[in-house]
Parts: sequence; C-alpha cells; structure tokens
Amino acid sequence: MADFKGTREAFAQALLDMAEDHDKILFVSPDSLKAMRATKFAELHPDQYVEVGIAEQCAVDAAAGLAAAGLIPFVGTYVGFLTMRACEQMRTFVAYPNLNVKFVGINAGLLGGEREGVTHQFYEDLGILSTMPNFTILTPADGPQTYHAVKAAASIPGPVYVRAGSGREIDVYAKDAPFSPDGITVWKNYGTDALLLSSGFVLDRTLAAAEILKAQGIHVTVADINILYGRNPEKILAEMARVSQIVTVEDHNINGGLGSYISRLACENEPKRVKRIALTTFGESGPAKELADHYGFSPEAIAKTTADCLK
Amino acid sequence: MNTAELKQMADHLRFVAVDMVYRGKDGHPGPALSIADIVATLYYDQMRIDPSRPDWEDRDRFILSKGHACPIYYAALSERGYFGEKVTDFHLRALGSKFQGHPVMNKTKGVDMTSGSLGNGIAIGAGMALAGKYRHKDYHVFVIVGDGELQEGICWEGINLAAGQRLDNLIVFADKNNWQSGGSVADTIGSNNIKERFEAFGWHTQEIDGHDIDAIRAAIKAAKEAQGQPSVIVCNCVKGKGLSFMENDNVWHKGVPTDEQYKIAVKELAGGIE
Repeated sequence: MADFKGTREAFAQALLDMAEDHDKILFVSPDSLKAMRATKFAELHPDQYVEVGIAEQCAVDAAAGLAAAGLIPFVGTYVGFLTMRACEQMRTFVAYPNLNVKFVGINAGLLGGEREGVTHQFYEDLGILSTMPNFTILTPADGPQTYHAVKAAASIPGPVYVRAGSGREIDVYAKDAPFSPDGITVWKNYGTDALLLSSGFVLDRTLAAAEILKAQGIHVTVADINILYGRNPEKILAEMARVSQIVTVEDHNINGGLGSYISRLACENEPKRVKRIALTTFGESGPAKELADHYGFSPEAIAKTTADCLK
Repeated sequence: MNTAELKQMADHLRFVAVDMVYRGKDGHPGPALSIADIVATLYYDQMRIDPSRPDWEDRDRFILSKGHACPIYYAALSERGYFGEKVTDFHLRALGSKFQGHPVMNKTKGVDMTSGSLGNGIAIGAGMALAGKYRHKDYHVFVIVGDGELQEGICWEGINLAAGQRLDNLIVFADKNNWQSGGSVADTIGSNNIKERFEAFGWHTQEIDGHDIDAIRAAIKAAKEAQGQPSVIVCNCVKGKGLSFMENDNVWHKGVPTDEQYKIAVKELAGGIE
C-alpha cells in the first residue's frame, strides 16, 4: 500500500490499487477529479474514468446505467451534492433496483467542510440514506480506515456509501488495520461507567475524552462504530449490554445518524439511557479544530457531557 | 415482419394495453397508444433481443423513460414471449403484481431499467451506452422520452453527456404528441422545438411521423449510421392514437375506458374480437 494522508487521498489510493486488477471498476466524476484526489487514477486508467461535468444527478444516473451493464462504478463528490441534489437518483435508480453503485461522499460534517461553510459542509447524509433500503453505510474513522472501507465497498454487493472528509481527520488506526465487518472496534476498555460510541472523524476526540474521564475517576469503554444500520449488530449489542449509560458522538445532525441508530438498538433490545452528542444547528466557516471545539466536540465537552449523565 | 404486419401488431399491442388498463381500472392509456408504433417496430423488427435470455449481455437495451406509458411496454414484452405464455390479465397496478404502475427491472422480466420518475432515461441510457463502448460490445440502447418530459433539467445533463462522449450507440425517440399532464406543451413552456434543442447540443437529429412504420425503420437505420454522435428521432405522434375517442384528447393522459368505450376499442383495434 502506497503512502497517503487524508480520507480523499485514501479513496484515490484504494481506487488505484483496485483498478490494477479489476477492469470493472470505474470512477464517475461530476467534475470532482481534483476534489477526490483522483487525477493520477485518470492518468493511469483513462478508460476507467468517466467525466460527466458538474452534473451530479447525471453522474448517479450514468452510474446506474453502467452498473446495470455489469460494471462497478464509484461516484465521488461532496456529500450533499450526492445525497441531496442526487438523492432521488440514489434512491429510485440505485437503491430500489439494488444496483452495484458505490458512493464516496467528501466534506462530511464540520470537520470535512470546515472553512467552506454550510454550502459545502454536510451533516444530513446519514439521515437521508438510512431511510433507503439496500444501502450499506460505512463511516470510517480516518484515512487508513477510509482506504479499507473503499475496498470493502467494492466487494459488498449492492449500493454502498462511504462517508469521507477533507484531510483534517486525525489518523487513529494503523495503516493495515482491517475495516471491521462487525461494525464495531473497541478502543479503550477502562470500565463500564459508560460506553462512548463514536462514528467517523471524532474518534480521536472521544478517546481523549476517555482519558479526561479516567483522571476524574470515571472509567468508560470507547468503541468506534464503522457501519451504521448494519445487518449484524450483535457485537455492538454485546458492548451495550455491559453498561447502563451510552453516549454517542458524531459530526452529523442529531437525527438520522449514529445516535438514532444506537437509540433504536437500545429501544428494541435492552432499553437504557442514550445521550447523543451531535449537531442541532447549521455550522459555519472556520478552521476544523476550532469549529469542532466550538460546536461541542472538544474532548473536554464530550467528557463533561458524559460526566453530567452519570450524576 | 413487413410493414403491414408491424402496423397490425402495433394495433394489437394497443388493444392489449387498453384491455390492461380497463381490467386494472387504472393507468395511462393515451401516452401508451402514442408510442405503440415505435415500440412494435423496436420489439418486432429492430432490437437484437432474445426473450428466453432477458439478461443476455449482448442484447440491445430499451428504457421507457416516460414510464407511465408502460401498458404498451408490458403488452410488447408479453406478446414477444418474455413471460412464457401470453398474459391475459396483467393485474396492472394491483397489489403483488409484477406489472407495477411504472416499470421495475427487478420485478418484470425484460425490463432493462426501472423508470417512471421523469427525466432520467437519457442519462441512464448514456451510462449503458458507455458500458457498451467500454466493454467493446456492439449493442444499441434505445430510449423513449416524452416531449413534456424534456422539461426536466436532468434530461439535458444526460444529453450533454451523450454528446460529449460521442455515444453513437444511443438512440432516443422523443414522443412529440404535444401534450403533457396539465395541458399542451407549448402552452406550458412556450415552445416544443425539440429537434433544434438537440441539434444545439450536438446530436444527430431527425424528425418523422411517429406512426409511419417505414419512417421509423429508416430513421433507426440512419441513426445507426451516424458516427460519433448520439441520435434523437423526434416522432410526431398523436396521443391516444388508434382509438377514435382517445386521439388528441388529453383527458386520456390517465383514465379508464367505460364498458361502452371498451367495446369501441374492441371494434377499432381488435377487429371486433375480444
């Protein structure tokens, strides 16, 4: 595996590595070649690169046509231009016919969109896609995990969505750590005072919160959830069963993402309290770190919210 | 089939479609009858297909972008043998039926693409045509769009893509019957100059009588010969064509014939044989 830094670079590298052996894999670009860091891919595999211009609905439709003819197209661009502008195409012409189209959305969340501001910062995608049957939703925590998630997407039959950022993510996983098919990876096991579940690029912050809590005498378990609304939540349920308080942390709107998923699992299996740390407003422009801190994702804020739940 | 036989077949498909709507008590007969001659020519004369192998990789593809006209599509698939025995009662739009209100590829054999949400057929067809080029297959992709449907912006994204990619294996029929759900196309948006618009986008364009079988055949031949350009065949059609009470009356965009009207259909389209 070549060296890369960031989730977009991870996507491009995974695509390059797969295209070496799989001529069915294509990249469909709605003028997102540069944004997706896929310029080298287009140079090395010009036949496997389809440029449709700034036309996301067309990119998804064309991908549906390619998939219907037996190919495996990846469509990549900004999260909202896929899941909102081309929402209906993703639903009616990919999810409904269960076609083998893969989506990689970049600039997810405040951390992904950061300085661009609200027009290029998206925190609604998981809520939208979680209502579409047949979609597999992958939320890798960092660059290395995005690399493996993109590779996993190619081998999972049917529509798959990979949530990616813009390079501001802090790498937590080792380069060669596989993408867990169980939907959960336990990172810290300090105790069962609470279970902190993180999804996406806030894993480093959640881990830091666990250290703050530990210093305060509160011992929590921290796990990364990398598949939302998956078909095999057993290992997630097993971790949830060990605690009476769960806290979810996600750079997404409070509805429709990780918090909703875990609340559902709790309600349907073993009811317990779930505190959701997520966005309830639109964001704004700003440096990634400052934005995340300002909107409630600082390690201190995550630790305080958790401690308050336990009072 | 010769021209006369195709013409007869088109009327037979028209009757099957009207019968389907009459029995199912719901559907869009006017839009279906408008394209009957095109569909009959495609399925009985022009398309490289094998009903016993609906997933054959080298087959020609068909997308009914104006999916609400599906009764004529279902009629053609049934008569052509995609479902084994010819279907006598389609249970159109009924719970559990494989004949949905709009075409669904995973429910109905022979349907190459789910459709019905207007505007998407050309862009999807462009994707299929691209796949053909990429895989060095010599199949063609045929798409039927409505003239009203061309108001959807996504159409023009697909039209742009097909021209830019020089998809000469993509042939679009624009069913120009001058009506859409709410009224006449020209009244709705001021004009219906389809040919000029496609021309401006770099397509090979032709305009024909959409009920003239020989003209349809000749236009497909010319479209196939056009190198490096996708083709549009603007078909001047009559909505509800073939049924006296339905022709050019937009009330039949969606509607169910009465028992009396059904008898007229039997007389006019099926030679009096139910």
